[in-house]
Amino acid sequence: MHKFVAIVGTNSDNSTNRKLLQFMQKHFADQATIELVEIKGLPMFNKPEDKQIPAQAQAMAKQIDQADGVIISTPEYDHSAPAALMNALEWLSYYVNPFADKPVMITGASYGSLGTSRAQEHLRQILDSPELRARIMPSSEFFLGHSLQAFDDDGNLVDQTKLAKLEGLFADFQTFVDITKQLNHANAANKQEIHDIDWANR
Amino acid sequence: MKLVGIAGSVADKSYNRLLLKYIAREFKDVVDLDVLDINDVPLFNQSDDQTDSPAVQAISNKILAADGVIIATPEHNHTITASLKSLIEWLSFNIHPMSGKPVMIVGASYYDQGSSRAQLNLRQILESPGVDAIVMPGNEFLLANVKTVFDENDNLKDDRTVSFLKETLGKFTKFVKVINKMNEKEDPGWQSEDLESHGKVETTVEGVDMHAADWVEKAAEKTNAAEGDDYVKLDRGLLTVNQLNYFLNSMPIELTYADANNQFIYYNHFLEAKDMLAARTPGQAGNPMADCHPKRAIPHVQQVIHMLRTGQTDMFRLPVPGMGPDKYVMHYYKAMHDAKGEYKGINELVLDIMPIVQYYLKHTGQMLVKDPDADTDAVSGASTNTKPEKTDAVSGASADTEPEKPAEPEKPDEVSGASANS
Repeated sequence: MHKFVAIVGTNSDNSTNRKLLQFMQKHFADQATIELVEIKGLPMFNKPEDKQIPAQAQAMAKQIDQADGVIISTPEYDHSAPAALMNALEWLSYYVNPFADKPVMITGASYGSLGTSRAQEHLRQILDSPELRARIMPSSEFFLGHSLQAFDDDGNLVDQTKLAKLEGLFADFQTFVDITKQLNHANAANKQEIHDIDWANR
Repeated sequence: MKLVGIAGSVADKSYNRLLLKYIAREFKDVVDLDVLDINDVPLFNQSDDQTDSPAVQAISNKILAADGVIIATPEHNHTITASLKSLIEWLSFNIHPMSGKPVMIVGASYYDQGSSRAQLNLRQILESPGVDAIVMPGNEFLLANVKTVFDENDNLKDDRTVSFLKETLGKFTKFVKVINKMNEKEDPGWQSEDLESHGKVETTVEGVDMHAADWVEKAAEKTNAAEGDDYVKLDRGLLTVNQLNYFLNSMPIELTYADANNQFIYYNHFLEAKDMLAARTPGQAGNPMADCHPKRAIPHVQQVIHMLRTGQTDMFRLPVPGMGPDKYVMHYYKAMHDAKGEYKGINELVLDIMPIVQYYLKHTGQMLVKDPDADTDAVSGASTNTKPEKTDAVSGASADTEPEKPAEPEKPDEVSGASANS
């Protein structure tokens, strides 16, 4: 059974993205182990000279490193991913490389009808950067619009069409994780190149 | 042109801040660029609203007061830094100071790409509805290989880069003017100034008759106003109401406060009306401005107020003759604004400047002579951009005649140098 890390893409106390990941954790419990990870509490990324990342980020990096894949659920602020999520990803690319060749599935929930379409595009671009080099599952989008009305009192997805879509994408992600394991010939080089990035002069 | 510069990095060593500082220095004749620090801005969290924190407020106020913004962005992970994004999120959550603001994007990076993707991304973010900034199209300024492009004095080495930057900045100053023109509210014209004070502003005391002679007492009671030995915290100091009165009543200037609703709400009452340069009586305080001016003067008063309210001028000067040959009475109308630049009313200062002129002449051993080439229009101050067709009746004093000629100075003392006595 695959082990996944699910990153809640916000530091907000109330988040329908957290709800979505909690639902996936429960709903797919017989197919995969999903650990939820919070980004709240990380300090603002400031390129510390000693190249050390905070203990919380270190723990996250370790969890991701040991996982078969990562699920990130992002809100959308100002047509893009929230600063808090960008901040976490900056820490997770600073002289560490947990995302190198790591399979990633992106989901997103928003109060409005669009369901974070632009933030997901933004997040793809970030994860594809030379500092992170994740393997993002291509041609798959899960947008949960009107997210405040999307769950019942037990935290289950109400809309059966949406649920079928999510189940399909999750099954695809399981397969994608297996396929991606074979795409690792440049893994050592990728990790070295990430490590060699000169952050001091950027 | 007043601009603020924001470097999208919290790191101590930032080439993007270096670039902004360079622009501020090198092009100080073109723009007045204030480079802001974003280090103290907390990470955005919608569950922990820190919009009112000093760091966010300071930046917001500077942006509001500026004509435009230049943002210099590094590129981390194919996008802008979390610290810059976090600031933008604060500025699009409960306040929107960037709305309608002209923005120019520049970026420096260590690599060949020169923050190209971060710049595109920043454009998209700034144009989202919560931020609502207006980003100058085209004119990408990408400074690559930053480690090698500055000399030891932190100046850009390459002449072509400097001239491209100058050209881009020149275009931006035009862009700022065009966008700010577009943002201007339709001017309703000076006729819209309501001297009967029918409207209200935040401070208007409602339910008290503005025309009443005891408006001050009634309004004070209604607002439970501080008085006597009550302390008032001021910028910058702490005085009791009594101390404030000692202070204002010892000014050798007659001061009048008319609020943004054109209500006359205060004057420093240290003289009886008959001894004042511009007569006021205690019962007038609280009156709508229409009460304090003759009908024929109303259009001119409206024009002056409107110029001050709309920022066409910040101060309007008016000599008011008729007080005798030994006086030269000036009325100064100065617009008052809050920290956000919002119009808060007029400070009218009335004083006789003749003693000042006499003092100066006496102590520098000089005398006044007539200038044969003088423009005889001595009525309106030099600083006004536009003036009402006829300004002479603004104060309501009988000022239809030319100002009196200043009196001939006394013979100066034997002192000669400008600083001889001091």
